[in-house]
Amino acid sequence: KFTMEAKSVAIGVEGMTCNSCVQSIEQHLGKMNGIHDIKVSLEDKNAVVIYDSKLQTPATLQEAICDMGFDATLAGSSPQP
Amino acid sequence: FQKHEFFVDMTCEGCSNAVTRVLHRLGGVNFDIDLPNKKVYIDSEHNVDTLLETLKKTGKNASYLGVKSA
Repeated sequence: KFTMEAKSVAIGVEGMTCNSCVQSIEQHLGKMNGIHDIKVSLEDKNAVVIYDSKLQTPATLQEAICDMGFDATLAGSSPQP
Repeated sequence: FQKHEFFVDMTCEGCSNAVTRVLHRLGGVNFDIDLPNKKVYIDSEHNVDTLLETLKKTGKNASYLGVKSA
């Protein structure tokens, strides 16, 4: 049976100033393989990503956001399960 | 002397900062960003395809408008 290795990570994102920035990150990352859900918060300056750990790692997600021109930092493991 | 003119769908300073960063990462480019008109003018040794791909990395709509002679 197919099982997903879903994990959650919060990535700090600096440089977003409006909802358009938020949307481009959500859309761009949403297109990547192994991304189940993504919530970007302008107020908290972070992106919470639910991803398949077989296909992505926090580092690859961080790099994807960096590639888009934003400062992305891994704040350690997310407290949420 | 020529500059390539690109349209990039930027709506705020965050957007233009993102464009600035990806172009800096590419390196070897001189550029001006016209945020109100959503234009980016680039003078570079890289070809247009490379520049356009780089601009599209920001996740925004981008298109090549042509050469602007200065």
